[in-house]
Amino acid sequence: MHKFLKTLIPFDIAKGMLITGKHFSKVFFSANRRKVPFHVVSEYPEVPAKMQPRFRGRLQLLRDEAGEIKCVCCMACEKICPTQVITIESDKKEVRKTKLPTRYDFEMERCIFCEFCVESCGFDSIILNHQFELAVYNREDMSIAMDGKFQNMFGISPVAKYSVADEKD
Amino acid sequence: MPTPTLTQSVLIAILQAILVVVFIFVIVPLTLFAERKVLGYLQQRLGATRIAGTLTGLSGFLNRNMWKMGKIPMLSYWRGIPMLVGDVLKMILKEDILPTKADKFVFFIAPAISFVASVVVFAAISFVPGTLFTLPQWVPVIGGLPVAGAVGDVNVGLLWILGIASVGVYGIVLAGWASNSKYPLLGGLRSGAQIVSYEVPLTLSLLAPVVMSGSLQFSELSRSMAVGLPIWGIVPQFFGFFIYLTCGFAETNRMPFDMPEAENELVAGFHTEYSGMKFGFFYLAEYINMTVVAAIASAFFLGGPWLLPFGLQGLFNHFLSPHLPALLVTFLCEPHAIFFVGKIILLLFVYIWVRGTIPRYRYDQVMAVAWKYFIPLTLVNLMLAALVRYFAV
Amino acid sequence: MENLLLKIGQNLFLIFGLMALGGAAVMVAAKNAVHSVMGFLLAMLAMAGCYLCIGAEFMGVAQLLVYAGGIVVLFLFVVMLVELSKAKEKGVFQRQTPFALVLAGAGVVGFVGVFWKTIFGTSAQEALTLAPGLVTQGEKLGNAQMLSRGLFAEYLLPFEILSVILLVALVGAVVLAKTERV
Repeated sequence: MHKFLKTLIPFDIAKGMLITGKHFSKVFFSANRRKVPFHVVSEYPEVPAKMQPRFRGRLQLLRDEAGEIKCVCCMACEKICPTQVITIESDKKEVRKTKLPTRYDFEMERCIFCEFCVESCGFDSIILNHQFELAVYNREDMSIAMDGKFQNMFGISPVAKYSVADEKD
Repeated sequence: MPTPTLTQSVLIAILQAILVVVFIFVIVPLTLFAERKVLGYLQQRLGATRIAGTLTGLSGFLNRNMWKMGKIPMLSYWRGIPMLVGDVLKMILKEDILPTKADKFVFFIAPAISFVASVVVFAAISFVPGTLFTLPQWVPVIGGLPVAGAVGDVNVGLLWILGIASVGVYGIVLAGWASNSKYPLLGGLRSGAQIVSYEVPLTLSLLAPVVMSGSLQFSELSRSMAVGLPIWGIVPQFFGFFIYLTCGFAETNRMPFDMPEAENELVAGFHTEYSGMKFGFFYLAEYINMTVVAAIASAFFLGGPWLLPFGLQGLFNHFLSPHLPALLVTFLCEPHAIFFVGKIILLLFVYIWVRGTIPRYRYDQVMAVAWKYFIPLTLVNLMLAALVRYFAV
Repeated sequence: MENLLLKIGQNLFLIFGLMALGGAAVMVAAKNAVHSVMGFLLAMLAMAGCYLCIGAEFMGVAQLLVYAGGIVVLFLFVVMLVELSKAKEKGVFQRQTPFALVLAGAGVVGFVGVFWKTIFGTSAQEALTLAPGLVTQGEKLGNAQMLSRGLFAEYLLPFEILSVILLVALVGAVVLAKTERV
């Protein structure tokens, strides 16, 4: 009987209609007029997309204040990586007590962006940055090394950047 | 007023048909566009804002430069307007694919049945009772003659609409069968079962106005439902309106009941194998059907070409029209086609609103709602209408 | 122009009738069952057109609503889902031919008899009804009103008997379709 009445009198539907109606009117009267728009999407290609702080984008190596690579080649990230996309080769250098990577390869095509590597890192030397425009034209561009001129492990790669808002020309 | 000869009346009928087709082809792309935008707004999105990418096309070029200057594009609020043309162009220019194992003739004829059935329904819909406008004298053969508000306001107009609309189901079922593929077949079967079952409560809910007005003629129905009823005529109309609207959603395969094309269950349902303009015909037919359902609802329940819905206009005319100036009386108390079209547009908005709100029903729920809830409810509603008819009118 | 339109208007019944015959022929002759249902649909639509031509709007639209919109859909449903190749292998259709011919002959004789009687005989003089007060005495009424008078006043008794027969068929169908629950 309760179920019958509930189906008969569509309060839930009315409630839902009210909510969406409210959304409609708010967006309809405020789109592009308020500083803080009510709609949750941005006009992405023209306006840079706003990422949430915990967004997991591409893997990136960090440097400290002096410009030195923070990585000490403990191999924790390489070991924990479930898809084994990280390859590290290390070398000893005089200027520093700890080891320094000579090679740090990251094969993005297999990466699942699980952030295990970042969690396992004891020195906070890698992060997943906020780059999400990862499409490339060649398969080789997917594997990123330390010494690439075009794209490397230290910054956001310019490959396939579709946003035109912050383009310099 | 001269009685028109046969040639003249045929020419006027052709003119009316052209007007109806123009009306359809204005309102359908607008609905398509509104669907994108309104659905976006309902979900806190912006809807379609461009037809080409940022780097190609005129709109992309303009937008890009506006953004670079640090400004929101001037026409930003209305961007996406090219979508009106873009949708139609896409349908016309797309490649038309014929599956190898499809039944060619049936595959070809199915969208045509769907489309024709939905357009022919407009023959009996009267936009305004009596004369829509009188042709000026300089028109060659048919000058000075009145053009009626309906193509053919026959005295079984409502049945005509229901009958032709029920032929439309063949389009979907045959399309599902002719594609020779499993998802279309399932979609066609679902649609057939759904439409045949929802036709019963739909017709029963439309019987309440028929009982109350005692006619089957569209204009007469709309007149007596709008201005011919005393105040207590509202009650059965009110519930009948919602039942009718829900059945109309189901009949046109719209969102809470879009079983035939449930995307996440049946790929695209009955039109999985269709592309190009053949798919376009199904698409158009769906939107024309929406318009028809909205037209019937607005004529019978929302007061048609009069201003006020649910029979309140009769009350208004009775008590207020002696005290109002003549201009206001003409505007508020007499039928105008523009009110009718306005109500149709309002109901089309409701369609999109419902689509943006209510998730799809499960198939057994759809059938249960039709047979267990709507048919008894419509019978009760019919009884109420009969009581109103017996005691009040 | 005027004369041409008038001619067309006068011969619309003929056109629709020929369409109906063509549809019926397609229905009988088509190899594919769905095509044959489509022929049936065409015949039904053309029949509705015929009714409209002779000024029986209600009948015409009821034809559309009931036959074209309801019954043929059910036909289509059944035909779409039935595998006909097995029936062909067994030669069911070949064995049926003589019986079908006999039945068709009987049907033709019956129909011709009915037509003969309708055209040349006298129709029933007295209305078969329970409420003789409601029987129309030659009033001019609308099409739907006429029909309802006929159904619910003049021929109420036959109408009710017919509906009881339909109910019997319905119950029979339910009984046949019901599976045995053990």
